[in-house]
Amino acid sequence: MNSFPTPANRRLWLLLLVGAQLLFIVAVAAAGYATTAYGRTVQLRTAPVNPRDLLERDHLRLTYGITYLPLTLWQEAAEPRRRQPVYVALRPQADFYTAVRVYNQEPRALPPEQVILRGWVVGSNRRTLHLRYGLERYYAPESQAKALNKKGPHALLVHISIAPWGQARITEAEVL
Amino acid sequence: MSRKFIEIEGPKWVEQGIITTEQEQRLLALYPVDDKAIGLLPLLGSLLVLLSALSLIAANWQELPLPVRFGILLGSVAGSYAAGEYFRRRGNTQLGMGLVGLGLILFGTSIILTSQMFQLIGYDVTGLVAWGVAGVGLTYLYRSRLLFVMTVAIGGIVQGYNTEVLGAFSYATAVFTALTLGYYWWRYPDALLGAVLATGLLWQAGLLIGFLHIKITWFFVAAMLLYAFGDWQADRPAGRALQGPPLVAAFLFMLGLAIFGVADSYTDRLRPPLLAYLAALGAVLVLSLLGKKARGRLGSATDWLLLLPGFYLPAGLPLAVAALVVLYAYAGTLLWRAHQEQNPDRVTLGTVLFILTTAVAYFKLTWGFMNKSLFFLLGGVLLLSLSWYLRRRAVQTASATALPEKP
Repeated sequence: MNSFPTPANRRLWLLLLVGAQLLFIVAVAAAGYATTAYGRTVQLRTAPVNPRDLLERDHLRLTYGITYLPLTLWQEAAEPRRRQPVYVALRPQADFYTAVRVYNQEPRALPPEQVILRGWVVGSNRRTLHLRYGLERYYAPESQAKALNKKGPHALLVHISIAPWGQARITEAEVL
Repeated sequence: MSRKFIEIEGPKWVEQGIITTEQEQRLLALYPVDDKAIGLLPLLGSLLVLLSALSLIAANWQELPLPVRFGILLGSVAGSYAAGEYFRRRGNTQLGMGLVGLGLILFGTSIILTSQMFQLIGYDVTGLVAWGVAGVGLTYLYRSRLLFVMTVAIGGIVQGYNTEVLGAFSYATAVFTALTLGYYWWRYPDALLGAVLATGLLWQAGLLIGFLHIKITWFFVAAMLLYAFGDWQADRPAGRALQGPPLVAAFLFMLGLAIFGVADSYTDRLRPPLLAYLAALGAVLVLSLLGKKARGRLGSATDWLLLLPGFYLPAGLPLAVAALVVLYAYAGTLLWRAHQEQNPDRVTLGTVLFILTTAVAYFKLTWGFMNKSLFFLLGGVLLLSLSWYLRRRAVQTASATALPEKP
């Protein structure tokens, strides 16, 4: 029983443990700010969203231009498997980014204008690869929700920060 | 015999002059009030409080400014832990532990809600692994069964999320849960914790098998490894409890083989490379047998009957019959051992398994060609007579064990 903290320093251990948990939550928030500060921003177009969704729930469900990709972008030996993590190479085209290729492993080298966004396979058929990026929910701020409501269904231009260490977040969304 | 029993029966014994009041008190003193019980009420209470707080905050969450939301999260985590510690020091252990458990739930919730506040997505489970680490830390610090059970559940949730949503398996989570909680159980053997731990680890093993897309029978190598640890545990009830879930899984699998093994499509997915599978299972068998020998329980080696790899037989009737033979052998040896040990609980268990097997066997072997009304009639008669016979044996066993409890 000696391997466990004695009652004398038990309180210290408890303080440390709870303190570490609070620090961890702060660290998650810090990672949010850091992703914006150090991340590379890409713009993605969505399909028109229906602002009525905001009446039923607190977020919009987004379908991106890169949600459904032609299967020709998948050039791996093995077939894509459901739920498999993938790495999508994006390249700027006009004012937003489009997908160039889908990898099953993180590529070593990329042309400088390209950037990798991670995602998961939802499913595939003979022509299309259906992907998910974890960025499909957008919690629109109040002001934007009102503006959207006036305009009716509209496409969005979503700004996404991709940190060098791999996390990503939606920083803002413009109504096109 | 429990304290409650003496509390009820004691006064009668005193009245009848079997023992004196003083002796009754001394007997009672042998069974101190059990304060180790999990306590359903604090658990339920903390759940309700959690739900109400969640629904209130969730309704207004998006409208709250970000610093306020963040403050609520940090404050509720710190507050729950502080309140838990306060009540525990006051001697109100159950309420205290309930609040500490609530703090642990709130910690995990805070990680998720904070990521959501920043619309931040992660590609690995680091955040959630921290949740499990906190759970283990608190379990060791408070030496609490409630926190142990919660941590097993957290490990299962994290791993489930990881394989389902992130498409990866966290070996770190699996190894960490197994080692830290396993060591805790080893040091403080406990039947309930053994069963919970085994269930949680089997769940993770199952997720791993699914993630690796390997033959599902590999699951039993992991399950029996767990079983083997139960053999080495010096505390018999705790060891037996750890072995429960693996045995249940093996029995159900064998029962499934007996019922569905006729179809070829199934058996094809069950057969790993013969040598590799047998070598791995054999190694675990040796480990298990050594443990049984060291603890003087070689008799329980018959449990391994359930692991006979009958699925290598060609699909069809031979496979179903082989599975039934194994099930009969297992239930039979269980009954035989139970009669020898004169253990009424295990006699009951063996009886149930024996009858279950008979029902499956009868259904399997006669459904196809027998007139249906005759089928049900014969089946009913068979089961009734079997249960009558086994019950008679059970009563004989029970009466052979000492009778002092009966007037």
